[in-house]
Parts: sequence; C-alpha cells; structure tokens
Amino acid sequence: MRILLSWLRELVDIPDSAEDVARTMSTRGFAVEGIETVGTGDAVIDFEVTANRPDCLSVGGMAREVATAYGVKLRTRGPGASPSGSRGGPKGPAPRSSALQITIENPDLCPRYVGAVADVELRPSPTWMQTRLEAAGIRPISNIVDVTNYVLLELGQPMHAFDHARLAGPEIRVRTARPGETLRTLDGQLRTLSPEMLVIADAERATAVAGVMGGGNSEVSAATKTIVLESAYFNPLSVRRTSKKLGLKTEASVRFERGADPATAVNAMRRALALIEMIGAGRARGGVIDRYPARIKPGVLRLRREKIAGLLGTAIPDRDVRRMLERLGFTLAPAPGGWRVAVPTRRVDVRREVDVIEEVARHYGFDRLPTTFPALTTAPPPVDPRIQRARDLRSALTAAGFFEAVTFGFIAERAAAPFAGEGDLVPIANPLSELFAVLRPSLLPGLMDAVAHNRRREQRDVRLFELGARFMRSTGERQAVGCVWTGAGAPEHWSGSGRPVDFFDIQAVAERVCQALGVEVHTTPADERWLMPGRAAAVFANGTRVGVVGQLAESIADDHGLPGNDPVYAAEIDLDALPPAAARRAVRVEPLPRFPSVVRDISILVDEALPATDVRATIRDAAPPTLVRVSEFDRYQGKGIPPDKVSLSLRLTFRSSDRTLTDAEVQDAMTRVIAALKEKNGAVQR
Amino acid sequence: MPDTEVRTAIDALRADFRARLAAATTDRDLDALDAAFLSRKNGSVTALLKQVGTVPPDERREFGRLVNAFKTEIESAIEEKRGAVAATRRPAGAIDPTLGSRPIPIGRIHPLMRVRQEVEDIFARMGYEILEGPEVEDDYHNFEALNMPPDHPARDMQDTLYLGVPIAGGTWGAHRGRVPEAQVRAATLLRTHTSAMQIRYMKTFPPPIRLIVPGRVYRRDQLDLSHTPMFQQFEGLVVGRGITLADLKGTFEAMLRDLFGDVRVRLRPSFFPYTEPSAEVDISCQSCGGSGCGTCKHTGWLEILGSGMVHPAVFEAVGYDPDEVTGFAFGMGMERVAMLKYGVDDIRLFYENDLRFLEQFPL
Ligand SMILES: [Zn+2]
Repeated sequence: MRILLSWLRELVDIPDSAEDVARTMSTRGFAVEGIETVGTGDAVIDFEVTANRPDCLSVGGMAREVATAYGVKLRTRGPGASPSGSRGGPKGPAPRSSALQITIENPDLCPRYVGAVADVELRPSPTWMQTRLEAAGIRPISNIVDVTNYVLLELGQPMHAFDHARLAGPEIRVRTARPGETLRTLDGQLRTLSPEMLVIADAERATAVAGVMGGGNSEVSAATKTIVLESAYFNPLSVRRTSKKLGLKTEASVRFERGADPATAVNAMRRALALIEMIGAGRARGGVIDRYPARIKPGVLRLRREKIAGLLGTAIPDRDVRRMLERLGFTLAPAPGGWRVAVPTRRVDVRREVDVIEEVARHYGFDRLPTTFPALTTAPPPVDPRIQRARDLRSALTAAGFFEAVTFGFIAERAAAPFAGEGDLVPIANPLSELFAVLRPSLLPGLMDAVAHNRRREQRDVRLFELGARFMRSTGERQAVGCVWTGAGAPEHWSGSGRPVDFFDIQAVAERVCQALGVEVHTTPADERWLMPGRAAAVFANGTRVGVVGQLAESIADDHGLPGNDPVYAAEIDLDALPPAAARRAVRVEPLPRFPSVVRDISILVDEALPATDVRATIRDAAPPTLVRVSEFDRYQGKGIPPDKVSLSLRLTFRSSDRTLTDAEVQDAMTRVIAALKEKNGAVQR
Repeated sequence: MPDTEVRTAIDALRADFRARLAAATTDRDLDALDAAFLSRKNGSVTALLKQVGTVPPDERREFGRLVNAFKTEIESAIEEKRGAVAATRRPAGAIDPTLGSRPIPIGRIHPLMRVRQEVEDIFARMGYEILEGPEVEDDYHNFEALNMPPDHPARDMQDTLYLGVPIAGGTWGAHRGRVPEAQVRAATLLRTHTSAMQIRYMKTFPPPIRLIVPGRVYRRDQLDLSHTPMFQQFEGLVVGRGITLADLKGTFEAMLRDLFGDVRVRLRPSFFPYTEPSAEVDISCQSCGGSGCGTCKHTGWLEILGSGMVHPAVFEAVGYDPDEVTGFAFGMGMERVAMLKYGVDDIRLFYENDLRFLEQFPL
C-alpha cells in the first residue's frame, strides 16, 4: 500500500521523517518495501499490508495505526473536508429526489448496499487529486472515476459509478447471475457468468460483477450527465470465488475478498458526494439510500489479564492495554478478570481473545518483551532412526569419495519413464513446466543431470549421491539413496595406479551403503530398462530385493547429455525396504581366534557362464564347518584356456576355535571340495 | 717477497677458500675447490709456492713452512667437508617426498545438509525431538487443520503444486512404537511447508512437545536468484503449560547466536494463519554490522524465519484445549541460513550440484 506522507500527516500529527515512520511501523507489523521521495519534502512509503489487515489498505486505516504507534490522536474529519482542511459541502437549493430503487435479492451475499444519484459533468479532476492518485499508483481518468478512487484510497471503500442514462430505468437489483448470462467487463472482456456469481443489474441485465468490476454497458463516459454511485459491502467469500473463477483481480475485489467494513459504506458515499460537489464535478440528486438487510454487528470478546500475561510472558499495565486498544478503535468495558472488548467491524482479523492480545503485544512492542526459556519438563525424546540413518550414510559415502547432491523432487516425464512401470508415474496436476511434470520415481535421473552439468564444466571424475524420497503410484512415497559414478575408479597418479571406474566399484558402493546400515546384501544378475544388458544386478537383503546397481544404458546417458564413451555407473537402494537398523546398535563381541588358520588355494576351469556364487556355494556345502572364508583371487581367460571356459582361483581359509587343524584333515576337506566342484559344477582342477 | 707479504697473501687466499668451502654442497663443488687451490698446473697455492725465487734466501725456509702448512690446512678442510657431504647423500632407493601423494578420494556433505545437521544439533542439545514427515500431503494436514479452511485467502500466500493422482504419503515416527496418526487420507499435494507435521504430531502425542521437523517443501515458484520450486525448511513446535512469546524470543536468540555468532535478534509482528500473535524474526546484518548495506536493503536487519504462538484453532483441530496449553511454532528456510552463513547470493547454486561449489565446503 503506497501511502503519501503529506496525506498521512493530514490525519495524524507526526514529527518524524519518512524513514523514521517506516522504521516505527515495521516494528508494528507493517514491513516497508521502499520509500520514494516525491516533490519537495514529500514521500511515498510503500507498506506491506498482510492479508489479514484489509482495514489498512487505505490512508485512513494506516493513519489509525500510525496514531496508535506514536500515541497521538487521529484527526476526525467531516465528509466535506478538503485536503487543505477547509470545509466544502452542499450549497444552494435542495436537490431533486433521486427516485432510485434498490433491491437486494441475496442479502447473504450483499448485506449492505448504499446508492445515490448525482448530476455531473465529466472533466478532468483537479491537480491535487490527480497527484494523490498518481502517488498511490492509480491513473487519473475523469473527475467522477477519480473521486471513487480517491475515496477508495482514503477510506478503503471500493465504489463504483454507473451511467444513469444507460441503465434500464432508475433501478439497481443486486442478484445472482442468470444461467448463461454474459457481461462485457470494463477491461473489454466478454465474461460468461455462472449462477453463483453476484451481479449488480438494472431492471433487465447485469451491469457489473459485484465487488469485482463494472460492465461496459453502463460505463461513465464524456457524455454522462447523471450517475448512480455504489458503495456496498459484499460477502468476502462470494467475491473471492467469483474473482478466482473469472481470473480477475482488482483493487475492489482484493479489498472485498479480504473483508471491507460494512460501517464505512455510508460514510464513503457521503464523502464521495461531498467531493463531487467540492471539485465542481456535479451535485447529488436526492439523498443517500441505505439498504442494510443483513446487519453485521460488532463482535464482543472477553480479554483476560491472566491470558495476556500467560501468552506474552509479562504483565502489561491495565492503562496501557486500554490506551492502545482504544486508539485502535476498540471499546473496552470492565469485566471480571479483565475487559469486554467491542471489535469495530473493519477489524475482520480480530475474532478471538488471542487476536486482541496480539494487538496489545504489537503496540506494546515485541522488543520490550522479556526473553525467557521454556522449562524442560520431560525426559529426552527418542532419536528418529531416519535422522541417524541419513547421517550414517553421509559419513560412509563421503568417505568413499562421494559428494552429496540435492536435486528437485519433480522431473521431466521423459526422464522418469524408464524408472517406473506403465502408469506408475505420479503426474503433477499444475506443473510449472515440462521439466517438472512428474514426481521422481528414482533419484537417478536428477543425479545424472548433475553429472552432465559437471561434465560440461571440465569435471571428468564425478561421484555423487543423494538421500531423499521417490514416488510411485503403486508404492507411494519411499525413502531412497542414489549414487552415480563416472570417470576414474582410482584417481590418476604419477605412479600409474589410476584406472577407470567399473562395475565392481559401484557394486562395492551399494554394499557399503547397506553395510553402513548394518545390513548384509548380495547381488545377482538382473535386467533393468535403464541399465546396460549384462551390466546390471539386483541387490538383495534377507531375500528381499532392495536395490539395483549397474552401468547406465547408452540411450539413457544420451538423454541426459552424457558422453557415450565414458561409462556412468549407478546404484539405488530403497531405504524403506531395508530391515531396521536397530540390530546394528546391539553389538556383541566374539572371542578372538586362539588357533592358527590354514590357507589352501585351488585353481579350476569352469564354464564362463557359471556364476561365482554357485562355485562358492558348492565349496561351502562340501567343506566342514572349519571353512571360515572363501574368496576368488584370480580370474583368467585367454591363452591356454579353452573358449567358453574361465580359470578361477580361490583361496580357502580353515580354522577351528578349539584346536590346531592337522594337515590331514584340511587335505581331506580339500579332496571333498574338489570332488564336489567336479560333480556339481563340472570343474576341472588345473 | 718479504715475510709479512707472504702472510698477507696466505690470509687473502684463506678467506677466499673458506667462503667457497662454505658454499660447497656436493662432491663436484669440492673437486672444483681442490683444483682451484691445489692443482699442480694452476692451483693458487701452487702458484704461491712457485714464487719461492722472489723470497730472500734466509727467509725461504720459513716461506716453505708457511705455505705448506696452509696447503695441509686446505687438504684436511676439504676432506672433512667431503665427509659431511657424504653424510647428507640420499641412500639407495630413496623416494622423492616432494612428488604428489596418491589421492584418497573424499566427498562432502551438501551445504544445505551441513546447515541442517548444525540446526538439528543445536535443538537436540535443547532437548527437542527431531523427526521427518511425508513430503506429499493431504489438504487437511497442509491447510485445513492449520486454520486455512478452503477458500481462505491465506492459501494464496503459498502457491500449491497438486498431484494428478492421489498416492500414499511417506511414513514417519515408526520408532515411537505406536501407530502415528494414520495415513488414512491419500496425499493430493506436495506440502507447501513442514507445518503439516505439527498436526500429525499433535494428533498422535500429548503435550508437552518440543519438536523439530526438517525437510523438503514445494511451491509453484519460478527458478530465479532467490526462489526455487523446492526448498528445505525446519519446522519447530513447542507446546506445554505456560509457554509464552517471551520463551519464543529466548529460544531464537539462543539458537540464532549459536548458528550465526554474535548477532542481535529482533521480532516484528507479522501474519500467519496458524499462529497468533505472529512474528518475523530478524538478525542484525553481519555484512554491515547493522548500519545498513545492500545485503540488508539498508535496514540493518535480515529476515531469517517466521514464527508465532500456536493459533487456538490449531489446538482445537488436534484436540488440545487452548485454555490449558500454549505453544510456539516456527519455520526457517535452510537455503536462507546457508546463503547468509556462507555468502551465497544465488540460491540455484544449491541445486546445480557443481563440484567446484560443493568442494569449497570443509570436510
Ligand atoms: Zn547490511
């Protein structure tokens, strides 16, 4: 709300500069967006008026706040007051009767309608009026339109002028629109109205959308000789719904939908008529006609001293409470433990005792409140395992060289599609753009974009992870961790120890993620649309599939603008599918081995297609419980090895917890292992 | 050449020798030094000896003794220095420690998550429970129960993104051993604030409450220097008997000083539908110390969070008696904190995940 300082000063006697006023009012709840100097020694202060305070969308409303803040009196002025303070007013013979008929068909939507008729001559308004309108950001149009806008700025009451001659007779009907009824509004748009919309009509047709915008069919023009002036109070919800439905927001609709003051409607009309006469724009014909079928009474609230202190943490002296509230226009009557407070109808925000206490706190000053600390009265709360889980994963993954990324929860549909089954994506009904059209079914598309961003900026080695939610229709919202890795597996070094990343690097990352959460996992070959065939695996924990690892399919990498020649590896783990991490905290230490272990290596030839996990399983099944570890230490194909075969070297470690193993028993175990490998896996010992 | 002249000549040679010896660091330096003084052909000591003919006969014996003693002195000094040089020579197989080390790759926590963890820790020390909630919500939890019934004008303050199809929202608080306020309603929108968790929590647990809910929230905002359609928020909620606006003030002063160092904190009246009274909380501008600059739009203050006393309508919605308990709630943007703390002037940097940005934060 742009407020001209000199206009404000007409209503309150304040000595301070614009900057001081701005500072004071910002501590009273009116943040200042800017101060503009105009002319000599004058300024426009742009106050941010919160949505709950429509009463302050006027110079008069702000003046009341300023008067309270400064502890000075608000000057009351008659309807005929001119800017310089001299009084104008009706002169000459008594005007003719207006003969205006006003009918309100829907008092719930229009509790009050004030009308008047005036004979006018359209001309530009005087300079002082134009200057004030322009300072507030309103374009002067003609003396009549300017008067309605002036009253709007001064008192906050939206007004409208109809051309009397263009109405079908001296009649105003406030009614809902008829089915299919149309109206060309003042902005030139032809609007189709719906039956719940309130209109202002003459005897035949709609001439304005009530509280939103007038119609072209009754617009005042240079030819206008007589006007019908409207000053009404419309139901806020009705105006809001109509304005939303028409997509039409005006100075009037904003005020009506937040709540105008039914009490101001008549004063505003008197003021408008007085201004018309004062600036020589015309004369009222007949009196002001006030229809108020649904009277709105001021609310009465109790205000308890104990509640003021209970909410603010300090007692505020009675006389301060009374003084501040009365300056704001509240009426106080003593009541047990406090007061009964009558709330002026303009204060639509004050509906409960706390709202009154806020008024007290606001003008008492938040800065004068003490600072205390809430008393601790309960035992410390339990830790959310999700919070701890996120921290554990951050530690594990940053230690593995991964940078944490944060990407948006919505992505383009094309990027999302490969990660969800048919119809499983969750679209956004009103997306900002195609790029944010669906909720992400996976964290990986966002991470790939981040990789591409870095690749375009000379970063070849990229390791990123993200923690967050992903969404699908079938499974709803679930927590996941995603990791992507491209470039070096081991960083470049002069010793030659660098090498590019490969599948087994990302597999280790997936395992590390689960390990950090105390979960043992294994991987098996899998197929995923977005992974390269033969380079994809599923991650299992306790027989449940919890994630996927592999090399990104070329087409997917392409789609994200990633160069095809550098492979990108990715892993994603469904954190909600992992067993709870509680077991991880219950640590029991095993005694250390007391007897030496025995190590035996074997090399076998097996089919290339035989999974290593089968070989290990055969060995474990055949060996006695003294086998504590089996691992591959070499895998060879090429010279000396038949095609379709692979040479696999394994290291077996035997140990007993109660004795030193003898050579004979280890040899016996190895004989059984080799026999089993031959029988079950067709292995040939080398 | 008389005796005194000989001594002067030797002293001059000695000074030269000592200087060059001190500068010698390698065997090659020492070989050169040896040659310069002792070489038969053109060593300077040899040259001196050759001048024996110019010495008077009765002084020749003394001349020979002096020059030879000097020669011996040089020889043993060079020998001694050779020992010292040998002692500093690198042993066979020595490595060059000035070569670059083999890198151990290490990543970084995202700056927004650094802020998040820092704030979580501050409140954890103050005895707050920290919980995550669902990101997709229903209208009831996100708006209605927070005193924003349908058609409430305040809904315009938060431009909402709606889901095309309803889905099941995420779970929360499973570790609390009871069924948290059930996911009866399917989620229909992306939460516009973490305040939705106020309702879920209060409907599940009785007061007293001290709660922090960090998480992502969504609004229909275009990307620019200071807006992103998704951002990170902390919700805070304290409810109990006798909780006051003064408690809110004290809590924020403690928290913001912990987070930003020595700053002043002020409250300004504001409006949120779910708090009454409502307050914006500002900290003094650290760029200018409060005297006014571009960062703080010449006000000396920076807005850091929105807060207020829980609105009685919210208590009524969750079945608390507003005559029995009071409380305060707040919402703070992690981006805002991170921008001020780390001097970031473009919010989009947090979502580009540029390694050159991320690696500027310490381990
Ligand atoms: Zn500053």
